[in-house]
This record gives sequence, structure tokens and C-alpha cells, in this order.
Amino acid sequence: MELRLDPELENFRQEIRGFINDVLPPDMRERQRRKVANNADVTDQLRWMRILNEHGRAVPHWPVEFGGCGWTPMQLFIFNEELYAADAPEFDWGGTHMLGPVIYSYGSPYLRERFLPMIREGQTMWAQGFSEPGSGSDLASLRTSAELVGDKYVVNGQKIWTSGAAHADWGFFLVRTDKTVKPQRGISFLIIRMDTPGVTVRQIPQINGEAHLCEVFLDNVEVPADQLIGEPGMGWTYAKFLLEHERTTSSFIYWSKRELARAKDIARGERRNGRPLSADPAIRARFARLEADLLALEWSVLRVLAHEELETPEAAAASVLKIRGSELQQEVTMLQVDLLGLKGARYFDVAPTPPPAPDEAWPDYVPGRTTVALITRAATIYGGTKQVQKNILARLAFGL
Amino acid sequence: MDFAKSDIQTMLLDSAERLLSDMSGVEYWREQRHRPFGFDEARWAQFAELGWLALPVPEEVGGLGGTIEDVALLNIVLGKALATEPYASSVVLAAHILGQADDRAAADEALGGIADGSLRIALAHQEDGADPLALEVGATHARPAGDGFILDGAKLLALDAPGAARLIVSARIEGEEGLGLFLVPVEAEGVALEAYPLIDGTRAADIRLKHVRLPASALLARGPRGAQLLGEAIDRASIALMAQAVGAMEAANRICGTYVQERKQFGAAIGSFQAIQHILADMFVAAHQARSMLYHALANADRPEAERAAALSAARLVIGEAGQLVSRNGIQVHGGYGLTDEYAISHYFRRLLTLEKQYGDLTLHVGRLGDHIFA
Repeated sequence: MELRLDPELENFRQEIRGFINDVLPPDMRERQRRKVANNADVTDQLRWMRILNEHGRAVPHWPVEFGGCGWTPMQLFIFNEELYAADAPEFDWGGTHMLGPVIYSYGSPYLRERFLPMIREGQTMWAQGFSEPGSGSDLASLRTSAELVGDKYVVNGQKIWTSGAAHADWGFFLVRTDKTVKPQRGISFLIIRMDTPGVTVRQIPQINGEAHLCEVFLDNVEVPADQLIGEPGMGWTYAKFLLEHERTTSSFIYWSKRELARAKDIARGERRNGRPLSADPAIRARFARLEADLLALEWSVLRVLAHEELETPEAAAASVLKIRGSELQQEVTMLQVDLLGLKGARYFDVAPTPPPAPDEAWPDYVPGRTTVALITRAATIYGGTKQVQKNILARLAFGL
Repeated sequence: MDFAKSDIQTMLLDSAERLLSDMSGVEYWREQRHRPFGFDEARWAQFAELGWLALPVPEEVGGLGGTIEDVALLNIVLGKALATEPYASSVVLAAHILGQADDRAAADEALGGIADGSLRIALAHQEDGADPLALEVGATHARPAGDGFILDGAKLLALDAPGAARLIVSARIEGEEGLGLFLVPVEAEGVALEAYPLIDGTRAADIRLKHVRLPASALLARGPRGAQLLGEAIDRASIALMAQAVGAMEAANRICGTYVQERKQFGAAIGSFQAIQHILADMFVAAHQARSMLYHALANADRPEAERAAALSAARLVIGEAGQLVSRNGIQVHGGYGLTDEYAISHYFRRLLTLEKQYGDLTLHVGRLGDHIFA
């Protein structure tokens, strides 16, 4: 048992930090740091992917033959941590962390050659069409159908909560190709071009003023049959593979650590009765709990990355990451809002320009905190609600 | 980073699982609590035979020179089995202070006694009204006299002192900064113990020291070094106790998982009800995070003082809260039986509550970490 970090990794961290500093354009970083919405940066996201790709680091977690870096899990952890700490744009997770791994694991040579470079080079955003109005937690009941007619699938149905669909040229969808077998067996994984006739996207105005989540209506949409990934009827298996593959992503540990650092800035900057909030023992206690809980989450991530031998299935440890990761995202964003007091209730649709001077009443850290906290209520809902995760845990850890 | 156990660690755990599975559980525990010191001295001798007592003792004086990770892994198993032996105080804490003591002859002799099981030593540091994490003392003081010292004062809640032959007593040395640490035989003239049980069946004592004459060799460390050494030793004992808490939580979870499948109400096992399932899921999450924080404390055990203390408090915080969540819900899913002495969960509750209070309770560690964050 060796729990201290390999000192070599510190050199790696310095190399990555220097690299990001060299290639991340200052204007892009500034826009990221000052954005008031969660997902309003499609252009920067794709530009950033292209920059990373020029250096062979757009998809470091992929196998080397498809453009990965061959790094260890710990190196990947550090890479992601440094990206977030530097306020780099988010990855398009749908493409890089969901569709890409399914294609290189199960896709035909045609799909690999056509789509993997497209994802790696940041040519487009990808819409993820899983949930339906009647199929949320019970995803296997989905009804959007794809019927094989000649060399095309004809798709009919409706998807919802399809993030980024309005900005995406392409999407990947779970569709029902066989209604005669048990629900999980009849689902397939299909790539659809979003400008195909019959595809209609409607943005959903959200609690925080954004409209990133969408409804997608599919009305006799004709899709070339070779855009079905792997075998028909295996879509559910591939979707489960994704969850296996991306066990630690759902922890959002890098994101929450950065937001905790931001909360500390707010606590030092905001004053009441002439004293910074950070001097208040009640505030300090709240920070102590959150910091300790995030450390626990971080070590739980490291345990999964290092494949610690456990008495319970590894999937149980993954559900712990999802539950705690989502709860802590909510706690850290609500702490930020609470520290701002009534200032936190002011609505900002854009960050003021030019940025205020540091001693002004509305410091630069105010805009965006509440809009992000509002949409972060989604964290315990998407990707398997907290309650579904607890059902899974009861089964895996206790056999209930 | 590697979570795989070394060969020595695997052997250690195998021997621990073997011995403790024969002698554990509530029946065993119930017999032990009426013994004078709350544990079986014959089993303590077996701990010695298996090398457990020599584990943290340096190799030069007959110990095994084990790492803090080795100690933690063993203590997880002790915690699972609700062991009431004074391992954290008499072995982990005492060996660390003695291993660094100024007077080698006296210290090496005592270390040999710890390793072979013939000597148990308890710490007497806490005083009434004092901050348990402060490395200074108010009332207890030592006056240089001749070649040695005269010790006066009073200590509270000296853990495991009733079963110990010697005490490590912290005292202010007159005219000096820092802290003196003295090795004091319990039978020395002027030492009086008032022993009592804690709710988990372990023992503690209040101690009065009245004109206790000590030779110069009794002084283990003094000045800033004395305070530093005590801080390190308490942190190490704290890690051992956190490991016991993790083991206790994992065992409690297993017990509850079995119970809810056996207990039937409304014609079904109560474990089939989602309300119960979600309580158990919460308990699993808590115990899992607790183990993660034990690893965090271990990874930082040799860091400079401020970082070590912050890591330790963060771990105490998560483990303390997790222990409460697990044991409170553990009683809840047992219903009325959870409140009986017969069912193991009530013993785990008492043990986890006692562990949370030792060497600074939850509130203190929350405060210490909060101050560190904005220092």
C-alpha cells in the first residue's frame, strides 16, 4: 500500500500547467472565467478542442491508436484538474467521453474513420438523445422507433433534455429497433445528422435563463443504416458500457474543487460589519465540512482510478461518486450564493463590461454564481437520479 | 498510488481475521466488559505473540518497525471486532513518544516491554476545561528538585490508564517554555487513580499527582520538542482510532444488511422496502467516504505539522460524521431491538460515539480545519 503521490507526477503537473498556460488564449480564459451561464460557450469549446488537437491532447483518455496520449489514470486526473483550475473551456463530453469510446470499442471501421477525427478535431458539438418525455429514470421504456427500410432507418419519436441540440450538427440517439423483445434488448445506438429533414429542435427555457436543454422531435427521419453503431439491439449494453467506462467523470471533482476555491475568494471579499465573512466561525465551519467532503470524494475517485480491490462490486463505488459528486456540486454552488446574501438574488444575463474595479460593490465574482447554482439542481437528476443510484447501491452493496 | 497490500500486510490481516473471528462479536465482548480493565489479558498476550504489539516499535529495540499504514490496516480489523484492547494508546501513542525520547536507556527498556506485551503505558494529558488539541497544560507542573523533579497536578479522562503500569504525564516545567513529558510508574508515591468505564466498555481514569518524586531519567522530552512529540503521537493514535471506526462502520453495515433481510413486517423482509434500502445506501456511502478519508490522513501522516493537522482534522470530521450516520441509522433499521444490549448494533453505536470524542471531538476538528482554511 503506497498512498503518497508519486513525486514524478509533480513534474508532470508542472509540464501540463505550463502547456495550458502556453496554449490557452487569454481572451478565451477570460470569457470562461466571467461567463454567467453554464453552457453558453460553444464557439470557444470547439476552438479549444482544435487547439488541444494540434498538440495531440484533445482526447488523451482514448487509446493511442485513435489519438490518445497513453497516460496513466493519475496523469489523466492531473490533466483534467489543471484544465479546470486554469478556467479552460469544458470538453464536449458527449463526443469525447460518450460517443467516442462507444465508436472505438464497437463501431465499424467506417464509423471510426468518419467520426473519431470529427470528435477529436472539434468539428462539431454532439447532441445526446437518450431521455424521452415518458422515459426518464425508466430509460429502458423509451419509445422512439427506428424501422429498417431498405438501407435506411426511418426514425419517429421525441427526445427531451437533449443538451446543446440547438448548436449541434450531429447527435447520437438511443432508439427502439425491435418492439418484440424485452425492452432492454430492442434498443440501438444511432448517429443522426441534426439537419436531416424531419428533425425539429426546440430549446427549453430553463430556471437560470439559459435554453441549453432541448426537445428533439423526429418525424420520419431517414438515417443511413451504416450509422447504427455495432449490432442492432445492443444499444442498452453500449450505454451501460459507457457508465462502466466513465466511472469517475460523474464525480465532477475538478469542477467542484475550482468552485470551492472561488467560494473562498467570495468569503474573503464580502464583508459584513467591516469584517470579511471568512472571519465568521459559522462560515468557517461550513467551509471545513465542504472541504473535507470534497477530499473524501477526491480519494474515492483515486480509489476507483487505482482499481482498489473491494469487497463490493466496483459499480457500487461508482454510484458513490455520482451521489456525492452531484450533492457536492450543489453544496458548493449554494455556498457561493449564500455568501453573497441578497446580492446573489440579482439576475445577470451577461457579465458587466468592463469588469468592475476590485473595490466596487459588485465584484466580478458575483455575476454567474446564482445562474450556475440554479441549473446545478440538475446534478442529482441527470445520468441516473440520486434515488436511482441509491436503489443500485442497495442491490450491489447489500443484495437487497 | 497503490492500494494493493504488501505481503506483510496480507499476513498481518490474515492473522488478525483468524484470531478475531474466533473471539469477537457481542458474546465475547459481553464477557470482557466485566473484567477489571475491560479486556482479556490472555488475548493481549496473543496480540504480542502475533507481533501486533511490536508493529510500530522500532526494529533496534526488538520491534517490527511497521509503517503507519500497517498499523491502520490492523486497526480496521480490531474495529470490526469491537476490540476493547488499548492498542491506540498503549502501543501506537506510547511507542511513538518513547521511540523519540531523550533518555534512550529508560525508553528502550519500556519499548521492549510494549513489544513483548509485558508493559502497558497510558497518556495522561487532558485536564478539566482545557482544549484537548492544545499542546500545553495548565495545572500540572514539574519543579526541578535535586537530580529529578517533583510533579503536582490533576488529569482527566486518561484513556486506558486503569490497565497501564506507567503513565506518560504532560506537565509544564517551571521556568521553561514548551512541554515536559514524564514517564511515571502508576505505583509511585503520590499518584492516585480514580478508574471508571466508558460507555463502550473501555476504561479511563482521573489522576491526581501530589508531590510525585521522579528521577531525571523519567523526563522523556521537554521544551518545544515535547509539545511537538505529543502532537505527533496523538495524531498517530488518532489514525489508529479512525481505522477502528472505519472497521466498525463496515461491520455495522454488514450486520444491518443481514438484519433487514431477516426481519419481516407486512409479510415481507423490511429490506424490500425502498425507505429502508435508501437508509442503507446512505450508510454505505458514509462508510465508503470514511475509508477514503483514512487514506487521506495516512497519505499526509508525515507532512509538516500544519498540513498534517489539517488533513487529520478533515479525516476526523468525515469519519466522525459518518460514524454517527451509520450507527444512528443502524439502530433505526433495527427498531426496538437496536436499543438492546443483545444486538450488536447497540455496541457499535456506543463504540463509534466514544471514538468520535477521543483526541478532540467533531466540533473541535471542524473548528481547527476552518481556521486552517482561512489562516
